[in-house]
Order: sequence, then structure tokens, then C-alpha cells
Amino acid sequence: MIRHLFKLIWNRKKSNFLLITEIFFSFMVLFAVLSFVVHNVRNYTKPLGFTHDNVWLLSMRPSSDSAALNRQNLEQVLQRLKSYPEVANISLTSNNAPFSFSITSNAMTYGQVKDVQADYYEVQDDFQELMQVPLKVGRWFGPQDDASNHEPIVINQQLQEKLFGNEPAIGKLIPITDSSSYQVIGITEYFRGAGEFASDAPAMLTRINFAKRQDKFWESLLIKVKPGIGVAFEERMVKDISGITGDWNLEVSMLEKMRKAKAKVTLVPMLGLGFVCAFLILNVALGLFGVLWYNISRRNSEIGLRRALGAAASQVYWQFIGEVLVLATFGLLLGVFFAAQFPLLEVFQVDTEVYLIALFSAVFLIYLLTAACAFYPSRQAAAVQPAVALHEE
Amino acid sequence: MIILSNIEKVYQTKTIETVALQQVNLAVPKGEFLSIMGPSGCGKSTLLNIMGLLDEPSSGTVSIGGQEIRSYKDKELAHIRNEKIGFVFQSYHLVNDLSVLDNVELPLLYRSGVSASERSKRAKIALEKVGLSARTKHFPNQLSGGQRQRVAIARALIGQPEIILADEPTGNLDSVMGEEIMNILLDLNRHDGTTIVMVTHDENMAKKTERLIRFFDGQQVSDAKVYANLQQV
Ligand SMILES: Nc1ncnc2c1ncn2[C@@H]1O[C@H](COP(=O)(O)OP(=O)(O)OP(=O)(O)O)[C@@H](O)[C@H]1O
Ligand SMILES: [Mg+2]
Repeated sequence: MIRHLFKLIWNRKKSNFLLITEIFFSFMVLFAVLSFVVHNVRNYTKPLGFTHDNVWLLSMRPSSDSAALNRQNLEQVLQRLKSYPEVANISLTSNNAPFSFSITSNAMTYGQVKDVQADYYEVQDDFQELMQVPLKVGRWFGPQDDASNHEPIVINQQLQEKLFGNEPAIGKLIPITDSSSYQVIGITEYFRGAGEFASDAPAMLTRINFAKRQDKFWESLLIKVKPGIGVAFEERMVKDISGITGDWNLEVSMLEKMRKAKAKVTLVPMLGLGFVCAFLILNVALGLFGVLWYNISRRNSEIGLRRALGAAASQVYWQFIGEVLVLATFGLLLGVFFAAQFPLLEVFQVDTEVYLIALFSAVFLIYLLTAACAFYPSRQAAAVQPAVALHEE
Repeated sequence: MIILSNIEKVYQTKTIETVALQQVNLAVPKGEFLSIMGPSGCGKSTLLNIMGLLDEPSSGTVSIGGQEIRSYKDKELAHIRNEKIGFVFQSYHLVNDLSVLDNVELPLLYRSGVSASERSKRAKIALEKVGLSARTKHFPNQLSGGQRQRVAIARALIGQPEIILADEPTGNLDSVMGEEIMNILLDLNRHDGTTIVMVTHDENMAKKTERLIRFFDGQQVSDAKVYANLQQV
């Protein structure tokens, strides 16, 4: 029977070509959208590697060009903030604070492993307590690092695997220049500062040695306030700081708000694509349904004939479903061939697993869609009385 | 052997009720070649459809090969049609997307336990019988009307049915081609003992058969043995 179906389809290849093309394109669109969605959903379900309850970000843009004066003001600001009973913790950070829209990365080379790109975060000792960064192995930064000859870093598991494979990483030295190097002191499982939809990419945190780096200035400051502290305090705090800094440009944002803003950047296109895709699939389904309906009604006399020759209604029914599924298979084979190029050629930095999930789901959905579209027309076909069907010519 | 008793067929549409057949009683003995004549619309095709289990009578019973059709369950009917009956239609009814060989194979496709090679072997034999061995790979639209009808006959006989029901098998053909088809049917009847019921508009064709029944307005009006004519053939 399968052979018979193939023959029928082959002999009707001209009219089937359109259907196969349609199935092919819907598969490709579905595959692309599903890859995007699966990629993001998988990222979303991974831990961030920190918590941000009651954490605010204070951004400071000095107006003066005098580095010394700015530095002096910054020290006063830190002093002032530490004195508030409402503030639990503070930590300076590089501009790529969690959920911010900026990215800093650093190429790391260790032995044979060259130029591994890692997200690069600068933080102070209090950052761990402030953001509750869990460590898997090793320790966090502390005053003992002041005396260290190397620059201590905490890395995430991704970076550990990329640089050291299965070897233990604690204590390992990674050259920065000929005379200096990083030393791994701690490992955290995850650190995805770029937000919930960011990939679990290699990341490293370095220690801000505020006292030692007299020349440097940091514009971003994370402030953890005690529970229940709100806008009233924010206003008072900004006013106080303005008193110190004069006409610096100050801005306070809550990390929770930043998280939402950051998530929107992914969610909005995802929803948009989802809608477009749903609309497209609906169109394809309607088109497919129409074509199948038309094909089957055109073949009424063939149906009557098959019944006259001894086909049971159920055989006619399954023949039509079978034909559509074979057609879908052709479209899908073509689609899978093209879709497989994405993981094979590593077009985007997306896990192969994501592609596989998207591929299988897309195949399954297309089969489901075609079978669903074929269901009703095929049932109609099978229900036709043979004498009536033969009558129509 | 086909026995129709008290067959009635009424077509019911929303506005009109058409009585296509009424009180038809008919027995066709095994091995008989029966022809049916009558004006257009008198119910000949309807009668053939009921004999061939393509249509259900409004009342009355049909029995085929000594087996009375009690339930009109689809699977059972399909089985009987497949095993016992071969159809030849006025308009051939070939599947245009299948080659001649594949068209002829169709009845065996629905018979269990027939392998693909067996199917094609038997299809070739059937095509040989109708003189179309050279056309197995052609498609129906590449054939003449007479050739198409011969393909349809090959398809009807491939399953070696006891009965062949032919609805105006020569209606669309000129007299020479019609003659050809008629000879194939006569040959099947004489050599293989196939029971044949043929609807025709052609007196000359009808005269070649053993028995002729005339219909008028859904009723049988005459039944005659035509042995005399038979001898001339
Ligand atoms: N499906 C149907 N629905 C309603 N009426 C029908 C149907 N099929 C046939 N009829 C009616 O039944 C009657 C007999 O039709 P049938 O086709 O059996 O005639 P026929 O003797 O074969 O005619 P012809 O010689 O033209 O083929 C006709 O009046 C026809 O209109
Ligand atoms: Mg008719």
C-alpha cells in the first residue's frame, strides 16, 4: 500500500509540488521560531547566580574633569551611604551591573586554550553578600587579597570548563601580561549578569581594590537597602549625595525594574514572532485544508471506484491520511536537511540541543497539523456512497 | 447466482421522491450472460449498483452466490465486492494518475495476501487477455476509448470474480470497438463461466447474449431467452 501511495504521489508530482513547498516553508519558519523560543526558555529556567531583592543601582556621571576631585567626592559618597541605617550593603561595580544594557568582555588564554571570551565584572568584597552569590568551590574576595601578588578572580562553571576542562581550577594562574596574572580563588555555578534570557556564557568577577587604585573611578554603585525601605529614602539619599557631589548627574534604578526592562527586550520580539508564526501556521493550515478538500472532492469518482473495487471506507480514509503524511514527509525531509545545517555549521551560538528540541517539535507539529487538516476531508471522502461518487463524473 | 427479490429503490431528496425501481424480482443463474435494456432513466444503473452492492435497496433482498446480504456493513460489502464482483463502467473510471498496469492491479491491492509481484504478474496476464500487453506503462489519457475500456475489463477480470457487472460498456465506443469489447465479454462468459450482467442501449449487442430483460419506469416489462441469436455468433 505504501508503494501504491508513493506511485500516486509521484505521478501527481506537479500538483503535489506546491503542497510540499508549503510544508517545507512552514517547517522552516516553525523551526526558526521554536529554536529562538527554546533557546530563551532554556536560558530563563537557569539560575541567574545572584538575587537582587532590595538592590538599587546608583549611576553617577561626574561633571568635573578633575579626577582627584571626583575621586574625593566618590569616597565621601561611599562614607555617607555606609552611615545610613537603611542601607545594608554597598558595592561599586563596573558599568555592566546586573540587568544593565552594557556588556564588557575579556579574552582569556590558558595554555593551549586561546582567547576564550568571558563576561567581565568588577565588584567589591561586599558584592557577594549584597547579591548573595553562591560559591561552589573556593572562597570569595576578602582583605587577605590585598597582599596577593596576583589578581584574584571568581569564575563561573562555564569559564572553568572552557579553560581547564575537568581539572580543578582553584589556584590556577591565568596570565594577563608578562608580569601579572589572574588567580582563580572561587567558582560559582552560574553568573548571568546580562539577565534572565542571557546564555550561560563564560563569566569572571574581579576584585575592586578601592584603596589601592587611587586613580580610578567607578560610575556604578549597587546599594542593598533593608526590607521595606522605599521611595522616601531614595529621595532623601539622592538629596544628601547631591549635597556632596554638586551638579553630578545622579540616577537611581531598582534592579527589579531593570530586570523587567531587560526581559522585555527578549519577550517582545518573542511574542511578536510567536504571533506572526501562529498567524502563518493558521494560514498554512487553512491553505492545506482547502487544497486537501479540493483534491479529495476532485477525486470523488476515484473514491467511488476504489470502493467498488473492494476498498472499505476505512481503507479510503487511511489512504488519504497516508498520502498527506507521505507528502508532509517529503517537505520535512527537505526542511530537516536545511535545518540540520544550523547546528552543523554553528551559525549562531546556540546549543545543538536547542536545535534538536526545535527540530523534533517542528517535525511533530507539522505532522500533527497536516494530519489534522487531512482528517476531516478524508472522513468526508470515506463517507461518500460509492454509487453516488461514481455517479459524479 | 444473483437473486433479487422485491427490490425497491426510492431516491429521496428534499423536494422530490424518485422511485427508481419497484417490485423487481430477478434471478440470474450462474454462468448466464444477461443483458438489460430500457429507456434512459428507467433504473438500469440503479439496478446494477444494487446487484453490485454499491447501493442499498430501500426494501427487498439481494443474495449473491447463495449468500443473502443481511447487513450492509461496509467492511463485509467491500470484501464481497472485491472477491466476487467485477465492474465495467460506461465512462471507464480509470485512475488517471496510475499507469495501465497499476490501474489493473487495483482490485488485488484490496485483497489480503497478494504480493506485489503476484499482482503485477496477474495484471500482465489480464492485459494479455484483452490484447493490451504493449500498453502496460501508458497512462489512461494516452489511450483510445476502446483501449481504456479494455483496461477496465482487464481490471474487472483480474480478481477472477464470479460475476461481472457492465454498465453500457460499449456506450462510448464506435461499432468496431464495441464489437471488440463484446467479444471479450462473450469469451469470458463462455470460457471462464463468468456470470455477466450488461446494461446496453444497443439491440445488436443485446442479441448476442443469452437472455434479455427490458425495463420501463423502474419495472421489468419483458424477459426473453435469445438463444436463437446466440447460434449465429
Ligand atoms: N443519486 C440519485 N438521487 C436521486 N435520484 C437519482 C439518483 N440516481 C438516480 N436517480 C434517479 O433514478 C432514476 C433511475 O436512474 P438510473 O441512473 O438508474 O437510470 P438509467 O436507466 O441508468 O438511465 P441511463 O440509461 O440514462 O443511464 C432516474 O430518474 C434518476 O433521476
Ligand atoms: Mg445508467
